[in-house]
Amino acid sequence: MSAPTPVREPVWSLSRKAIALWVTQGAVGTVCYGLVVTAFWLLVPLDAGWAVAPARWAGAAFVLAYAVLALAVRPRLRYRVHRWEVTGEAIYTLTGWLTRSWTLVPISRVQTVDVTRGLLQQLFGLATVAVLTASSQGTVRIPHLDLDVARHVADHVARRAEKIRDEAT
Amino acid sequence: MTGPTARRTSPRVLLVHTLTFRQARSVVPVALAVIAGRGLQGSPATVVALVVGVTVLSLLWAALAWWRTSYLAGDTAVVLTRGLVSRSVRTVPNDRIRGVEVEAPPVHRLFGLVRVRIDAAAGTVAGKDEELVIDGVLRAEGDRLRAQLLSRRAVVATEAAGRHSAPEPVEEELHRFRNRWLLYSPLVGSYLVLPLAAVGALFRLLDEVPDRYVPRPGELLGSPDLSDGWLVLAVLGGALVLLALGAVLGSAVVNWRFRLVLRGGSLITERGLFTRRHTDLEVDRIRGCAISEGLGMRLVGAARATALVTGLGDAARRGQLLPLGPQEDAWQLTDLLVPSPGSLQRHPTAARRRRLGRAVAPGGAVLVAGAVLTATAGWWPLLVVGAALTALGVPLGLARYAALGHATGPSSFAVRSGWLVREHVVLQRRAVVGWEVRQTVVQRRAGLATVQACVGAGQGGYSAVDMAASEVAAFTRAASGSWASALAG
Repeated sequence: MSAPTPVREPVWSLSRKAIALWVTQGAVGTVCYGLVVTAFWLLVPLDAGWAVAPARWAGAAFVLAYAVLALAVRPRLRYRVHRWEVTGEAIYTLTGWLTRSWTLVPISRVQTVDVTRGLLQQLFGLATVAVLTASSQGTVRIPHLDLDVARHVADHVARRAEKIRDEAT
Repeated sequence: MTGPTARRTSPRVLLVHTLTFRQARSVVPVALAVIAGRGLQGSPATVVALVVGVTVLSLLWAALAWWRTSYLAGDTAVVLTRGLVSRSVRTVPNDRIRGVEVEAPPVHRLFGLVRVRIDAAAGTVAGKDEELVIDGVLRAEGDRLRAQLLSRRAVVATEAAGRHSAPEPVEEELHRFRNRWLLYSPLVGSYLVLPLAAVGALFRLLDEVPDRYVPRPGELLGSPDLSDGWLVLAVLGGALVLLALGAVLGSAVVNWRFRLVLRGGSLITERGLFTRRHTDLEVDRIRGCAISEGLGMRLVGAARATALVTGLGDAARRGQLLPLGPQEDAWQLTDLLVPSPGSLQRHPTAARRRRLGRAVAPGGAVLVAGAVLTATAGWWPLLVVGAALTALGVPLGLARYAALGHATGPSSFAVRSGWLVREHVVLQRRAVVGWEVRQTVVQRRAGLATVQACVGAGQGGYSAVDMAASEVAAFTRAASGSWASALAG
């Protein structure tokens, strides 16, 4: 990272298991694309038109590039970028891998705290904490925390929000 | 004042519903289909019988619905009970009431009735479900309900102020719509759409009518000579005039005798030619104001002002403070509600490069494609189109850059962006419920970032696009509470 970031980075990393989860997601995506391209190779005959041959190779190249990106590059980059933090007054996250997005929500304006676990997340023992405010845009999601960490964070934020709640929305 | 007993709506509502075939409306298509299938066997008696039958059925239905509907405006909540077979009871606690709207559609006005909409806050999700509608009470009862509900809410809020439950109607008229402002409407996109929509509806209707009843202007006039340029011009000009006229008419119907009044702690707007609407906004819940100026409106110095209110359903319409008027008036109103944070700060020149790049890029792509086609196939029109688009992208990008800006003041801040519709939003510091800073790869290289203030009102978020990355932390700190200093290093 050459240029300085516009705002401070949160300090805590996600669970390392998140990398494995992202790699799995990438693998699933690669298999899907691979199936589509294989079907194209097998089902569309070469003499269907002049564009078939280049399309076959372009499809194969795409799957290869996607595999490298989704399996080797993106999970690690994501893990390097993603950060989160809960301070005394606010919840702060940094997400994204190419486009980065920092979100800060004061605990006094928190309305609800959710812990959700997707199918893959359950496999890896992870959970996402979502903190909702009165604004449809002001939702903070901390993805892929260890389950007990997620539960602890949700608990802490909910209890603290009750204590310092600001009724104005 | 009567005790909290359940009441029925006015029986006159039966007449309204019979007249508008509210309940029988669903029967009409079926009846039409039956008629179309069997054909009207000549006798007018059948038609009369049918009309009478439908009317009686409608009346009966309306009577049943009326008999099964009751409302109760109690000390703590409003309860609406209705339903013919399956009963539905909806309760809205008084402290959840965010606004009361009294509207009088034309037929209701005929019988001296109004419809009362009670807006209840239910969190972030906007939808029709948050309303409670009491349809068809006498005008006096409607006003009494509104006063009662709002005063009770006010009593809950300002018990200490020791105000009577019926506050004296000290009114201050902030604003009154002047009819000559209707002339702005042809330059406003949303009003221009009105006549187009009407034309569209007309064509759909023509489609439904059997062909032999549709007049054929072509057969009447003979086929016009299209080579005559003047005729085409005249037709186009005529269509434009009609469009403008339609826009003015549509705007008049919606905005007729618009009035903005400050009474107690509420802003009250009244508007409409046929349907009079009476909307209440609590000043305490106003978090900011948005002034939007479309491209056409900027040419003549017109603007629209909208209040950003928390927990207001259908906020774009209900929050309107000035539907259409001169910029100065819009600013005057805004300054009254939210203190001005001062003049806007421009964004860095890198932002101008980015806006220019984004505006020129589509034209550039077409240009390149055109160059390839010219070189390979000798087909040049695409090249010309691409060049024109690229050239047009330059003023567009500059204009988009010129619209960008942000400012912070002691108790408020402002952001501005947009070209087709330029939106200048002034928000109170307390409005911010979160910050989102976004940076794409390009923005990171250019040292820019887009900062969105998340707000529990209006659209939910308002952005300062492409501000200098180094200013972000200071801006967020200045535009919201001390909690935002977590963003600074």
